[in-house]
Parts: sequence; structure tokens; C-alpha cells
Amino acid sequence: MVIEYAIVPFLEWLSTSFVYWLMILGGVVAAALIGSWLVVTLRHGPVVAFRCVGRVLSDTVVDLALIAPRRVLAMAWLAVKESIRRRVVVVFAVFLVLLLFAGWFLDPASSEPARLYLSFVLTATSYLVLLLALFLSALSLPADIKNKTLHTVVTKPVRPSEIVLGRILGFTAVGTVLLGIMALMSYVFVVRGLSHTHQVADADLRAVEQIDDGEPAIRQGHSSRVHKHRHEVTVDASGGVRVELEHGHWHDVSAGQSAGETVYQFGPPRGRLVARVPVYARQLRFKDPTGEDAEEGVNVGDEWGYRSFIRGGSLAAAIWTFEDITTDRFPKSSFPDGLPLEMTLEVFRTYKGQTDDPKTIPGILGSLSVGDPKTGKPIEVRLFTAKDFATDVQYIPRQVETPDGRKLDLFKDLAPDGRLEVWIRCIQPMQYFGMARADVYFRARNAQFWVNLAKGYFGIWLQMVLVIGIGAMYSTFLSGPIALLATMGTLLGGFFSRFMGDLGAGAVMGGGPIESLYRLVTQKNLIQDLEPGLKTTVIEMIDHVLEYGLWVTSSLLPEFDRFSFSEHVAKGFDVSGNLAAQCALRSLAFLIPVFVAGYLFLKTREVAR
Amino acid sequence: MQASNDVVIETRNLTKVYRDFWGRQKVRALKALDLEVRRGEIFGLLGPNGSGKTTTIKLLLGLLFPTSGQSLVFGRDATDVSKNERLGYLPEESYLYRFLNAEETLDFYGRLFKIPRAVRRQRTFELIEMVGLDWARRRQLKEYSKGMVRRIGLAQALINDPELILLDEPTTGLDPIGTREMKDLILKLRDQGKTVLMCSHLLADVQDVCDRIAILYQGELKELGRVDNLLKVRDVTEIRASGLDAQAQQEIKAVIEKHQGKLLSMGNPTSTLEELFLKIIRESEAHPGRRVRGEKES
Ligand SMILES: Nc1ncnc2c1ncn2[C@@H]1O[C@H](COP(=O)(O)OP(=O)(O)O)[C@@H](O)[C@H]1O
Ligand SMILES: [Mg+2]
Repeated sequence: MVIEYAIVPFLEWLSTSFVYWLMILGGVVAAALIGSWLVVTLRHGPVVAFRCVGRVLSDTVVDLALIAPRRVLAMAWLAVKESIRRRVVVVFAVFLVLLLFAGWFLDPASSEPARLYLSFVLTATSYLVLLLALFLSALSLPADIKNKTLHTVVTKPVRPSEIVLGRILGFTAVGTVLLGIMALMSYVFVVRGLSHTHQVADADLRAVEQIDDGEPAIRQGHSSRVHKHRHEVTVDASGGVRVELEHGHWHDVSAGQSAGETVYQFGPPRGRLVARVPVYARQLRFKDPTGEDAEEGVNVGDEWGYRSFIRGGSLAAAIWTFEDITTDRFPKSSFPDGLPLEMTLEVFRTYKGQTDDPKTIPGILGSLSVGDPKTGKPIEVRLFTAKDFATDVQYIPRQVETPDGRKLDLFKDLAPDGRLEVWIRCIQPMQYFGMARADVYFRARNAQFWVNLAKGYFGIWLQMVLVIGIGAMYSTFLSGPIALLATMGTLLGGFFSRFMGDLGAGAVMGGGPIESLYRLVTQKNLIQDLEPGLKTTVIEMIDHVLEYGLWVTSSLLPEFDRFSFSEHVAKGFDVSGNLAAQCALRSLAFLIPVFVAGYLFLKTREVAR
Repeated sequence: MQASNDVVIETRNLTKVYRDFWGRQKVRALKALDLEVRRGEIFGLLGPNGSGKTTTIKLLLGLLFPTSGQSLVFGRDATDVSKNERLGYLPEESYLYRFLNAEETLDFYGRLFKIPRAVRRQRTFELIEMVGLDWARRRQLKEYSKGMVRRIGLAQALINDPELILLDEPTTGLDPIGTREMKDLILKLRDQGKTVLMCSHLLADVQDVCDRIAILYQGELKELGRVDNLLKVRDVTEIRASGLDAQAQQEIKAVIEKHQGKLLSMGNPTSTLEELFLKIIRESEAHPGRRVRGEKES
């Protein structure tokens, strides 16, 4: 369970993205100005057109600068009233029914129930809330124009900017309340759905170790079976109870009396709803099988090429460079056993064990080392066995012993400036490990789960606000159903925006749209070059124009899936403040132009048509 | 300067052509209208259905953009929002939010103006009282009858104590008492120094309250002037006798006085507006295109 894309540091992201944003915005504004000037010129000549565009421009500045909170609030209040009248609370009923059904179908005994439950509630809420946002925002203004109720409003001293903004804010307020309540319902649903207890009677434990006088010192046994699993329980001489991890969780235990017998009663499951805070490496580099530096590992024919592979039984290695590995971050009190390193490796086998059953395939042996900054060579910490995509925790001890017997302090000697290198090698010949930068990370601490869930809902909230903004923008100049369709189209486009961007950048194999079509019709494969000639030239030229259009469109559309933190939350990773801030700013970057566009459409249209 | 200050509404060569989606011309709703409405008068736009009255009002409010020409309200362009601070508008039908109640409606529109909260509350209260709906102030507008909605529509137009009030067919949907009250109210507003522009196809409305009227027919201005002047028939003297000149009248007066009688009435009779209206329509069908521009009466 890893997150498959890396997050750029905030300031780095901000500086490049902001410039990019300004460029795109400048392009759009210039295109809009020239376009509207041309349209007016056709009707009234260039001079009038120039004056017209100039006046709209100056009006825009005034209307945006003089937005009055009082009127915006009045308009927002109206939007809230309207939503209530449209019975938005029905959404709760739908949500409750969904949860009820989910209660039957989601299996808390599956291997990763937390992920199952969390992705379900997050997906269900986001679909419901986005659908609601879509309908509210896209249908409201057109209805007002059709009923002519807007006539009475715009003949009051309210600016079009305030009408659009008030609507966005009002619907956002409604959506926020709904989302908040649904988040609470989800939290209760998940916690209760996963909740279970076990118990074990003291009499059922058997002694494993005898001390001289025959008294049992350590006794072991299994708890009762609930949700298709049971925990191993160990009770030591002093009565301390230890519960082994099973199905990704453990329980606190309290001893009680029942019918004269001691019974160990388990508390609610723990360690399942987590928000791991990973410390990712700054960099991942490779050594090739001869031990020389290499850009990448080997490609084993993985179509996406996200992971690089290192060959077993050779000098090939993957080296992660971590920064900020200090005693402050990993104090001895919280990390007595060393620094927990979580790794999820892809294992590529050139031969398999006796059976294909994953449970019986033994893991592939690998070695974990830390780099010695003085020699630049790795010092082996321990061996481990890796199974394909199984998340494994290895501890790097606070003191590392070199082969010649010296003891080095992890922080003082190996990471004097906070930089620590972690080396991984595959030991078994003919086997490969596949890895990417985000696959190996230190687990610094756990964040509060409920805070992380709230962040997950914040992601949905950002998506909702975007939908409301886009819907409100379209509804200023389209009729209700058309605005609805246009908003949906934009959302779908947003989900595919990255693919369109790749297509537009010519990065997709098989060429642009026309070339792909040509290949499809003539049944050519994607690698084969087209024969040079006029036909090919024309195809490529048209494709270039189309690709440019696609590129522009994709730059204008919000990459919608990027706003979702559901994957993080469901997989148990903390949503970092950095990620949340980037997404918040990104949605703001879309909202501002969308709002201004909505304002302009409303201002330049005849309300009474 | 003095004169321009007194002109509240001015239209210059105002023309509106409705086009369809493809930009093809559908209706020429208003043709080169020149009008001036001065401070403190009740101005009536009169004309049969479809003659362009509502179009004129919408152009004055910036709800529609003119095809050519200009309309100025308080000396500002009709698309300028700041003019709305000082005007009130009662649409043809009351386009109000049916999910609000009377109080909420007035409070909502009031909040769009820069009025202190206490004043807004006070006015909401008074206006509901004035239009006689205090018994239904908490009921949603969807439960109202047409006339009741109309009354709330009027109250909403007065929420900002406007200087200029535009009323589109103010009496439609009102019962006879409501109609009478509406006319009294319009006169009262004029007495408070406000300017009223109303349009109507009901001759009686206009005849009773308007100081000046403009008669529109098929988008063209056909007649413009003071109601009493327009309706006076100058070459007829109304006496209960015929064939008498001033001298004779004087003589008759003298004769009446001589005989200790009392003269009850004598003067020019007024035709009804209806007759004038029908005459204009007859004439314009005979000579299409004739219209008055500006005003020439004293
Ligand atoms: N939105 C519109 N689209 C097309 N034609 C319209 C529209 N509104 C009004 N008209 C036409 O413009 C003319 C004037 O209409 P209107 O100003 O509403 O008349 P009045 O208010 O005097 O009854 C009519 O012929 C009407 O059919
Ligand atoms: Mg009308």
C-alpha cells in the first residue's frame, strides 16, 4: 500500500505553478479580449468595439473592487433558502440508505477492512455531494432567469459579481454543512463497522515455560474467533497481557472475572484506522550490476515504467537518500528499537516456487544497509525477505555494527548532517526487486486518524467548491440543462485532463488522434512508423493542431482526481499539510478565473431575454 | 443646468429590435423613441398590448440593451447599477421568490440597499401594513393570490424610499378597491415629490392619475402631452344651447344674471381618452409611420 506519486516541496511547487498559472491566465485573457473585440467589430466597427471592450474592462475592475459583503451575504442567504426549498436534505436519506446497504455488503472480516470501509464512505459522499453541488449550482440561475425573478433582483443596486459570488458562497455553505454531517456519519459508520472484540478465558491458556518450582511463567493461547480471525495472546508471570497483531490490528485487554474464572476481555481494535506520516527520501539512485552509478535500474517490461528494477545476486543496488534524520525527529523514548522503515517492493521472479499460491511462495531474500558517509560504502544492517507488494517494516537500529566490529552511532556517525543513505540489494540471483522513490520511507509517527479523515473530506470539499464554481459560471449564460451538461463535461474532462495533456504533448504512443484513428482503421500497430508521404504529412499536421487544442483544453481543466485525498486516507497515510495546501491553492487558482468569467457572462448578457 | 437637473429620465432615439438565437430580426419593438420625464410628475406610457411599453421600461432599467440610441436615468446610462439605489420597479407580473414569506422578501430586497438594519425593519413593517397584508406576513408567497403577490411586489418597489418609481401595468390583478388604492398611492407618491413612470393599457388608470402621457402604438410614439390638453376639444364649447358666440355667451350670462339665475357650467368639453386612443390608431393605420418627436406643447 503505497501512494504512487511524489509530492513536490511547497515553495518549489508554488514558484513554478504560479508562473504557469499567470501564463495560462494571460493567454486566456488576451484571447478573450481579442475575440470579443473582433465580434463587436463585425457589428459596429473597430472604434466602437475598442471603446466597448475598454468599458467592460474598466467596469470589471469596479464591479470586482466594490463587492459589498452585505449584498453578497444577502444573495448567499437566498441561495441557502433556495437549496432548503429544493429539499437538499433528501441527500441524507440517500446516504443513510447507502450506508445501510453497505453494512450488508462490506465484509469487516476481509484482509484490509479499513481500506474497504474508508474508500466506500469517501467515494459515496463525494459522489453524492458532487452531484448535489452540480444540480444546485447549474440549475439555480437559469431558473431565476426563466421565472424572471432575477429582474427584480438586478434592478436593485446589486452587481453581477455579487450575484455570482453570493450563489457560490451560499451553495458552498449548504454543501459544507451537508458534507460535515455526512463526514460524522461516515466516521461513526467506519468505527462501528470495524469494531469487534474477542475474549479468552485464563483456563484456555497453556503454559509454555516452566520455572524451577513448577509455576507457569509465560502462558499462551488464542482468542475467540471474530470477523474470521483470532489473536495470539501471551500472559507473562506478572500478569501482563500481550496481543499479537492480526489482520492489521491489535486490542487492548483487560482481565475480568466471570463465573469465578479469569477472563481476558478485548477492547476495540487498534492500529487499523491510522494516518501514517511517512518521511520520504529526497532522492533515489541506482547502482548497476557491476557496482557503477546508473540513472535507472533495469526495465523488466513493465508497461508504465514507474518502478525500476535491480538484479539479484549482483552489485546492483537502490539507494534512497533521506534528509532530516535527527534525534529530534526520532527520539529514543518513542523509537527505542530503532527507526521503522516501511518498504513495499515489487518482486519480479524469473522462476517460481513449487506452487503458484502466493502464501506458499517464499519471500525473496534482500539486504538492507545504511551508507557510511566516510567511505561511501554500505554497512549491512540486516537481511529480509520480501514478498511482492507486501508492506514490511524493518527497524534500523540506533547503533550499527560494522563488519570489523566497530560500533557506529546512527545519528552521529552515519547521518551527521541529517542525511542518511539506505541501500537495498536483492541477494538471490535471477530475481529482481522493483522500486520507486515513494516505496521506502521512514514512519516518523502516526497522525490523528480523525484529523486525517477530516482532511479527506476537505479534499471532497475542494472538489465540491470547484463544481459549484464551474456550475455557477456556466449557468450565467446557458439554460439549466445545458449548463448541467457543460459542467458534467468539464468534470469528466477534468478527470481525463492528464491523459489529454499527455496526448496534447504528443507523449502517448501511436501519435495524435487522427494518426491513432488511421492506425486503428488500417490495423497498424503502435510502434511501426507510418510510411513517409503526403498522407502522413497531412495526418501529422492535423494532429499537431488538434494536439495543441487538446493541450490548451487540458491546461484549462482542473485535474480533478488530484483534489482527492481519498487514496491517502483509505490506505492509512497522513495527508500532509503541503499536499492539502497545494490542492487548496490549486482550486483557488481555478475558482478565481471561473468566478470572473461567470461575472462577465452575466454582466454582458441581457437579463430580460 | 436647471432643466437637465429636472429631467429624471431621458431617451434618445431609443430603438430595440428583438433577434432570435441566430441573430435574425424578429420584432422591431421600439422605434426611435425620444422621451423626457421630469422630476415630480406622473408620466404614463399608454398603448395596446405589444406596443413596446414593457420594452421601454426594461431598456430604462438595463434589463435589455438598446439596439441603437440611448436611455439615461438620473443622467446615467441605464446599465449603470448605481442608478438603482434611487429607483423602485414593479414588474409586469410580480417576479418574486415564492419560497420566501412577505417579511423575508422585503428584508431580502432591503438588504441589497445601503439601509441601516433598524430602518429596514421599520420600513418592512410599515410597507406590509400599507399594502394591507399584515395578516399574511409570515406566509410563503406561493400561498398568496395574484393580487396579494402584486401588493408585495409594490411594497418591494418602495423598500428603498425611491425617488423614481417605474410601474409596469400597476393595476392588473387588483380588485376594484385595490385599483383605487393603487391610484391613490401613486398620487400620494407624487405629492411626496417622487417621480412616477407607469405604463398601462387601461385608459382609466392613466386618465385618472397621469400628468402627462405618451401614446405608443407598434413601437412608435404617436402622441405626447398633458392629459388635460390632449383631452380638451378646443373648437367645441359646451353649453346647453347651440349657436352662441362669446358675445352671446356674455349676453346670456348677463341675461342669466339679469334674471337672478346662476350659471352652473360652461366651457370646452373633454373627449374621453378612449376616443383619442381610437382616433390615433385609426389615423396611424391610415398614415403609417407618422409620429411625434419631442414635445411641442406648452
Ligand atoms: N423577449 C422577446 N423576444 C422577442 N420579442 C419580444 C420579446 N419581448 C417582447 N417582444 C415583442 O416586442 C413587442 C413589444 O412588447 P412589449 O414591450 O412587451 O409590449 P407591451 O408591454 O406594450 O405590451 C411585442 O411585439 C412583443 O411580441
Ligand atoms: Mg407589457
